[in-house]
Amino acid sequence: MRKTNRIFSVLIFIFLYIPMAVLILASFNTGKNIAIFEGFTFDQYKELFRDRDLLALLGNSLLIAILSTAIATAFGTFAAVGIHSLKPRMRKAVMTLTNIPMTNPDIVTGISLSLLFVFIGTGMLGQKQSLNFWTLLIAHITFNLPYVILNVMPKLQQMNPALQDAAMDLGCTPVKAFFKVTLHEIMPGMVAGAIMAFTMSLDDFVISYFVTGTEFVTLPVKIYSFTKKPIHPKIYAMFTLLFLLIFVLMVTMNLLQLRGDKRKQDRRIKMASRGMRVFRRAIAIICTVALICGSAFLIIRSRKDKITLNVMNWGQNIADGSDGTIDLIAAFEEAYPYIDVNYSEYASNEELYSKLSNGGLVVDLIIPSDYMIARMISEDMLLPLDFGNIPNYKNVMDTYKDQAYDPENQYSVPYTWGTVGIIYNAKYVDEADVTGWDLLWNEKYKGQILMFDNSRDAFGIAQYKLGYSVNTTDKEELQACADALSAQRPLVQQYVMDQVYAKMEEENAWIAPYYAGDAMMMMENNENLRFYLPENESFNLFIDAMCIPYCCQEKAAAELFIDFMCNPEISGANMDYICYGSPIEGATEYMDEYLAESEVIYPPAEILERGESYGFLPEDITRYVENLFLQVRLN
Amino acid sequence: MEFDGERILDGINLYFNDHEFLTLLGPSGCGKTTTLRIIGGFLTPTSGRVLFDGNCINDVPPYQRQINTVFQRYALFPHLNVYDNIAFGLNVAKLPKAEISQRVEEMLEVVGLQGFAHRHIDSLSGGQQQRVAIARALVNRPKVLLLDEPLAALDLRLRKDMQNELKRIQQAMGITFIYVTHDQEEALSMSDTVVVMDKGRIQQIGRPEDIYNEPKNAFVADFIGESNILDGVMLSDYKVKFFGRVFDCVDAGFAPNEPVDVVIRPEDIDFVPAGEGHLVGTVTSVTFKGLNYDIIVDFRGFKWLIQTTDYHGEGETVGIRLNPEDIHIMHKSEYSGMFGDYSSYSAEYDELTEDADNEEE
Repeated sequence: MRKTNRIFSVLIFIFLYIPMAVLILASFNTGKNIAIFEGFTFDQYKELFRDRDLLALLGNSLLIAILSTAIATAFGTFAAVGIHSLKPRMRKAVMTLTNIPMTNPDIVTGISLSLLFVFIGTGMLGQKQSLNFWTLLIAHITFNLPYVILNVMPKLQQMNPALQDAAMDLGCTPVKAFFKVTLHEIMPGMVAGAIMAFTMSLDDFVISYFVTGTEFVTLPVKIYSFTKKPIHPKIYAMFTLLFLLIFVLMVTMNLLQLRGDKRKQDRRIKMASRGMRVFRRAIAIICTVALICGSAFLIIRSRKDKITLNVMNWGQNIADGSDGTIDLIAAFEEAYPYIDVNYSEYASNEELYSKLSNGGLVVDLIIPSDYMIARMISEDMLLPLDFGNIPNYKNVMDTYKDQAYDPENQYSVPYTWGTVGIIYNAKYVDEADVTGWDLLWNEKYKGQILMFDNSRDAFGIAQYKLGYSVNTTDKEELQACADALSAQRPLVQQYVMDQVYAKMEEENAWIAPYYAGDAMMMMENNENLRFYLPENESFNLFIDAMCIPYCCQEKAAAELFIDFMCNPEISGANMDYICYGSPIEGATEYMDEYLAESEVIYPPAEILERGESYGFLPEDITRYVENLFLQVRLN
Repeated sequence: MEFDGERILDGINLYFNDHEFLTLLGPSGCGKTTTLRIIGGFLTPTSGRVLFDGNCINDVPPYQRQINTVFQRYALFPHLNVYDNIAFGLNVAKLPKAEISQRVEEMLEVVGLQGFAHRHIDSLSGGQQQRVAIARALVNRPKVLLLDEPLAALDLRLRKDMQNELKRIQQAMGITFIYVTHDQEEALSMSDTVVVMDKGRIQQIGRPEDIYNEPKNAFVADFIGESNILDGVMLSDYKVKFFGRVFDCVDAGFAPNEPVDVVIRPEDIDFVPAGEGHLVGTVTSVTFKGLNYDIIVDFRGFKWLIQTTDYHGEGETVGIRLNPEDIHIMHKSEYSGMFGDYSSYSAEYDELTEDADNEEE
């Protein structure tokens, strides 16, 4: 029995620590592939310490964690003392109430705090930007408080109540007695509570996500927006360091506790432990320094007299100076020294939409995709642009103007574009079959065909194949599309999104529709892969465009930014990093030849002309299409 | 004094003299600790006044009273060493370092803990912790020292030593000690004045000898030492009748034919041969106690405890004589009939109740 127990505990340890071990290993890996360890290197760490943005984010996270921990520990301790002085029945009731926020799902806490802050800030105080550093700090203090109280309470209960009397008997006022005696007795509980609060605060994503504005973002919130492209290994290096920090904190705490217990048991030790005292003082000093630095930092921050331009973009969707590219934000700030760009990110169109419609944010510039632009226009969420401020608009190629999502081109200026075509494996697929969308319905390749796992792209292909408009609201046409997709279903191996990479690169499937930029990356990894756009049919031309949302405060500066991005040299440099097509005339001249000459990314103009972009669909149609697609998938 | 509408102390009227060793004695729950806490300032009485040198100190908080306390189980500060514990009050008062150091060293000497200054509290024995607690209070030179059952947690031998020690310190320092205990022996051996309390009332105040020899009522008679308490009638001065016999006694001043409680201490009773005795009874149990035997004798269905050095076997018929000075007469009180019958007496029972007392405190 004992042996089994031991085996189990070893297994549990492996289970708990293997993921961390993999991460640590990955942080020292020379190769970018997680699966193969190619060699040992400190490069990721070097790169991490060179990335000042990332370090600044880490600094933000630490600042919030330390400040909220210090304040929550102070408040929580006083609260615990107050609760402790209540009569037992009342005490129990209050403790239950303080524990509830801990068991409450984070998302509920996050959303309710966000509602409260927007209600008070925007609704009552009339602030434009009601979600900011302070709301984030308040939220963190709120969810940290119960952990402190929970840890301090038992120490108060264990304490001999006569100690407080004894101190008062010896001349202390009640307050002085608290600081001279009670505080020492409950210190271990406070330290444990503080460490717990610190770690909770440091890794909180869900609550922070809802209560922070654009000007101050913590690390976890930022990392969530890194999901558009593979995570850079320097992030592994940072996680390793964070893990070690918390690991060391926890081990120190446990060791000190162990030593404290041992001291109580072992009557022979005569000297008071200096270690604990030094540790306590160190914590007190760290907290004070953090408080002072934090306040100074914020005062400096709030004093600057520059214009702040709040730009919100997809994750990793602007050249940032890494991999030999130009840091475009820095370049813009250099060109317009009175403007400070405050850059934040989102992971999907839907996320951007919900952030903006929740309110409480100041955002001056956004870069959503076509169909979302249409939706925002229909909901009056975008401001018409003043093209007098955007002279470089003339550089935008006509192909990308007046698209379905913004027919008169009043609200948007294209930023990037791409196409949806078919990627296939030339080793297995007969070139004669490669003509149009029909390839996806070819019985010959039954079981080797992949299909989009989202309704808009899947129906889009059926619509192009049947010659309907991609923005049709005709239910009969949509039913016909659904029938076509149902007919295709037996041939389809799987409905996929990101899994397409593995399937195609490892030749487990031969044919798949996908986005051109991604196709380009797959082709780098398997030379048998080819990409084509249908010869005579239409296909999806998707466009991300710069827009100014209703909550903009610096419209003129935002238009300057748009104008800056329409400069061919800038756009070209940008595309080197993000690997999409530039809508700017002449931008290709400033790009890597490899990209500029790629027909995958830049198909010939006559083909491009057949491209059609997604426009706005009424909500009932969107839901109708989603239902039809669900039926197709279920049959 | 009331707690939650329940009356805890009632009609307490006490004077404390300078340099006096006064003990509040009573069973647990009698209100002695409450009285002490009122004097210390940790409780404010719901009615009545506390006077100190003629000034009312009801509203003076504990930290401004010239009174210090030795708490039950010492309440030493675990995060400080011996020196810092003792220096605590002086540090709070912000005395010069040199003076603090000198006074702490002095106190260490008074309590016999020289060389322990830098020991950690957890490394001290119970008796040593006790001394630190006393030193910590006395170093502030209070006018009054309150001691709340300070010896309850010590074992018997250590307790005896500390009793002597405390008495010595009190005499050396010349401070008023107000001492709370439920141990009657401790109270009698240490105090100048003993205050016997029960149910929140003072039952008797007096010198230890007076309390023992002249208990005011059945409660005091029973609580202080052992007593056989009998119903009697005071026929006239110096004549009391009980068990159908008239005895001579030394008490006077009662109404003729007043019903009274008669107290006879077990150690005052002499055995005589059955024929010569005032009373004749049968031995029902004998317990060897070291110094003496505890013998229970049945007199007409009423069992007496008799402490004697003579051995009498179980079932033996014995006679006793009572001298006038062995008989003590008390007025009837609410306690009459509750104590003084040894029908259910057993040595173990006594110990059990004592243990229960200790746990409650």
